[in-house]
Amino acid sequence: MTPLSCEVLVIGGGATGAGVAWDCALRGFDTVLVERRDLAEGTSGRFHGLLHSGARYAVKDVAAAEECIGENMVLREIAADSIEDSGGLFVTTPEDDPAYGDALVAGCGRVGIPIEEIPVAEALRREPRLNPGIQRAFAVPDAGIDAWKCVGALARGAQGHGARILRYHRVTGILRDGDRVVGAEVRDELRGEDVRIEAGFTLNASGAWAAQIAHMAGVEGVGVVPGKGIMIAMNHRLVNTVINRCTMPADGDILVPIRTVSVIGTTDVHMADPDDLPIPQDEVDQMLDDGERLVPGFRRARALRVWAGVRPLFSDAKEEVESRDVSRGHALLDHRTRDGIDGLLTITGGKWTTYRLMAEETVDAMCAQLGEERPCTTRTAKLPGSEDGSLYHLGARLKWKEGHLNDEQLVCECEIIPRGRLEDELRSRGTTNLDDIRRALRLGMGPCQGGFCIYRATGILHAVGRLSGPEANASLLGFLQERWKGVWPILYGDQLRQARLDDWIFQGVLGVQDLPGAHDPPPGRVAAGPQDADAHGEPGDEAARAKGAPSAAPGSADDEPTAAWDGVSS
Amino acid sequence: MNDAVVIGAGVAGLTAATRIAEAGGRVLVVAKGIGATHLAPGTIDVLGRVDGEPVERPLEALGRLGAGHPYARLPAGTLAAAAEWWRGRFADGPLAPYAYTGTVETSLPLPSPVGAVRRSALVPETMAAGDLRRGEPLCIVGLRPLRDFHAPYAADNLARQGYEARAKVLDLAPEPRPDVNSLGYARAFDDAAFRDRVVAELRGRLAPGESAGFPAVLGLRRPHAAWDDLERRLARRVFEIPTLPPSVPGMRVFATLRERLRRAGARVILNAIVTGAERTGDRVTGVRVKVAAREVVHRGDWIVLATGGFASGGLELDSTWVAREVALGLPVHGVPGRGEARFAPGYLDEQPMARAGIQVDDGLRPLGPDGARAAENVLVAGALLAGAEPWREGSGDGISLGTGFHAGGIVVGARSEAADMGNTSGSIEAIERSGARGAGA
Repeated sequence: MTPLSCEVLVIGGGATGAGVAWDCALRGFDTVLVERRDLAEGTSGRFHGLLHSGARYAVKDVAAAEECIGENMVLREIAADSIEDSGGLFVTTPEDDPAYGDALVAGCGRVGIPIEEIPVAEALRREPRLNPGIQRAFAVPDAGIDAWKCVGALARGAQGHGARILRYHRVTGILRDGDRVVGAEVRDELRGEDVRIEAGFTLNASGAWAAQIAHMAGVEGVGVVPGKGIMIAMNHRLVNTVINRCTMPADGDILVPIRTVSVIGTTDVHMADPDDLPIPQDEVDQMLDDGERLVPGFRRARALRVWAGVRPLFSDAKEEVESRDVSRGHALLDHRTRDGIDGLLTITGGKWTTYRLMAEETVDAMCAQLGEERPCTTRTAKLPGSEDGSLYHLGARLKWKEGHLNDEQLVCECEIIPRGRLEDELRSRGTTNLDDIRRALRLGMGPCQGGFCIYRATGILHAVGRLSGPEANASLLGFLQERWKGVWPILYGDQLRQARLDDWIFQGVLGVQDLPGAHDPPPGRVAAGPQDADAHGEPGDEAARAKGAPSAAPGSADDEPTAAWDGVSS
Repeated sequence: MNDAVVIGAGVAGLTAATRIAEAGGRVLVVAKGIGATHLAPGTIDVLGRVDGEPVERPLEALGRLGAGHPYARLPAGTLAAAAEWWRGRFADGPLAPYAYTGTVETSLPLPSPVGAVRRSALVPETMAAGDLRRGEPLCIVGLRPLRDFHAPYAADNLARQGYEARAKVLDLAPEPRPDVNSLGYARAFDDAAFRDRVVAELRGRLAPGESAGFPAVLGLRRPHAAWDDLERRLARRVFEIPTLPPSVPGMRVFATLRERLRRAGARVILNAIVTGAERTGDRVTGVRVKVAAREVVHRGDWIVLATGGFASGGLELDSTWVAREVALGLPVHGVPGRGEARFAPGYLDEQPMARAGIQVDDGLRPLGPDGARAAENVLVAGALLAGAEPWREGSGDGISLGTGFHAGGIVVGARSEAADMGNTSGSIEAIERSGARGAGA
């Protein structure tokens, strides 16, 4: 068993965990973060992309609303590169009570959320696809936030301050020394090794999985209710402003434009297991009907993909409550006072928008227990890529491409991903998992859902990653299955046509069903590693090129060609 | 008045149209656009797999497909006759001596772009030397700017299955661009000067006796000349392997059949959307066709419907899970009902929706839900037919050729019957016209 030691062990690689690791690293703690899969693969990557203004909670939950507007303003400064300033509208559909708008304005006023009622005609001018029957419209400072970009920047920032970020490290046990938690045993899923991590302090930031981790530490009764919500990404930006239904929070009340899509969300269903999130047909239909209410013709638009996320809803109440009434506020559990156990704090609940505040409070509490005076600086410390403070612009990749028409091959036209960028990511991440690459670059997230780029990326992975055939096949088949998972429950209209074209390519042209290993059990996560030298590696061979030459393309800050790709300005 | 209006310009539609036109029929082809030919690999695959097992002798395995499969609609001998007809279209076609080879009795195992084994019945001569039964060592030649073909990956998988294979990647482009697609390369390979560069790059780097497998981009206008030139100058067998779309071998199919249609006096209208049908009793007498903003009714004794399945837009499914056949509104068969699984969670699993389509009788007439003919003079061919899963079972373009050929035969047969009875002056005129054209050609 490989030993490892650190001052602080953070469990969970979502927004909160990465935020905690960044906060700890900035305060000078020697920090290790473990995440059982990829960063932001749990709840943080499975949301609609909304950076709350707080208006959604202004009527019902003033504390949550205050936190949201405060953090909204902070994140625009420190994580600008992950945020698109799309703005938000609350609209009163013909089915909604116009009086709620007055309550909304009053609530926002109390909390200090800028809100302005605008004429319906003006709302329709800004968003021509909106239901022309809307009765009132209110502008608020909602925005879009790119989960993977932001969590990736937090992790890179933490690493820059000495933290170790361990993806695919699953906690298998919590180490106890009497009444004290002293670290964890984790399983390195890629290498198939067990690692013992000794830590001065352990921070459980595992969200919907917090009760499972606490249980490993011998702590019972942590009340985290997994609240499942499904979301559907519609092709293109049906709207360019976040559209909220002007009612009390309900299912299907929001349409968020994020990156190249618009996301309708969401439902709220209590689940027993945060890892078992089915997508029933009636929930899909419900989302489409709700979308139709906001944007007439929604059902005729092209649905790209559906997914389910799971909120960590914290509740001390033992009786059954409706999930939406469970607090959206976060919970910081001090296990010393709660359970008599030292060296462990649990942070759960909360919202994406408030991850930073949650991290600050958590690390403050740890410092208090340790008797350390180390002030938090995350309110002003800018994340890597956001140093110049410019907000993300949707057209960034296209702008880059326009300036470099003949410089580089595109691997994915939907998301404008140049080959060099893909190669660099493969090298720097050391991953062979195309789904990891997807989160980093948005590979395969466009309308064709990987129809063209999966084969190309696999071929490049095979050459650059020095993968053997079986590993490349596992990556290709694994990613195909991953794409299919989010597509089949919403296959109708043009996306069905696309899926059949993709079948044509994968099964009719490539014949992937006859690949060696195609019918083996579903491929697991494959580790990247150095491969045997190519037996015929003379100059001109793809393999030789990959092995010898440094990438012609960019990734490093001083390399002009992709410096501005995706708005990364560093 | 047309003898036949053919809707769709894929393999099924072009086959039916060419067969009718070359027998002297007056044919109009209307299609939404160029489509299926440019996507498919350009091979005619009759049957590659039944119940998950590879099939080497497709004709013998057809019986295992079940009565609902489109092949069960074809009279005995149709596929063999269609194959002979197909080879004949190329033998004296506009790209001759570019030819098709192979038979429907035995499939050729050929490498796919990932190095899997695909089984095809009829293949362009330029692919035939990829026959993996030869057991010759292979060198797969890649072109770095062609992102749609990855030679080392294909070679690695072939080697893993016991074939002697390796790869070479040439950094060679017709013009200094990072991206050149298959069409760009095909045009370059038509040019002897570009082939000189390829030959120079490969000289001395191929082992004796090694066959050279290129992406299927060896020429568009003179593919035989390009391929033959490479074989002679590299002094070895050369073969093509399909790429991601656009498919150059598919473009050669389209170019060949379209030119034959032109020579036979048929009209082809692309960018034409069929918006509905005019009916008299149980016959469709005309189709409404919209080109740009203008709608025109085209009349025909026969309507051949070959618009393809969901992939080609011949079928549509809406968000309430109602399927429709878009051109004529024919009943769609085999759509799972509400509450039933439409798709399976495993990508490679059998998909319930995949076999949806138009059900037909042995005369290719569409059937209603009650099993009665939905129209007397409509013939359905190709991927629109219910009961097949072409990509999973490896029957892509085999069904289209077989049913398109059969549909064409039904029209030709009906016309000659009518001509024998001497009661359709239009048809006699058409025969005279075709005779006049034949003399002039």
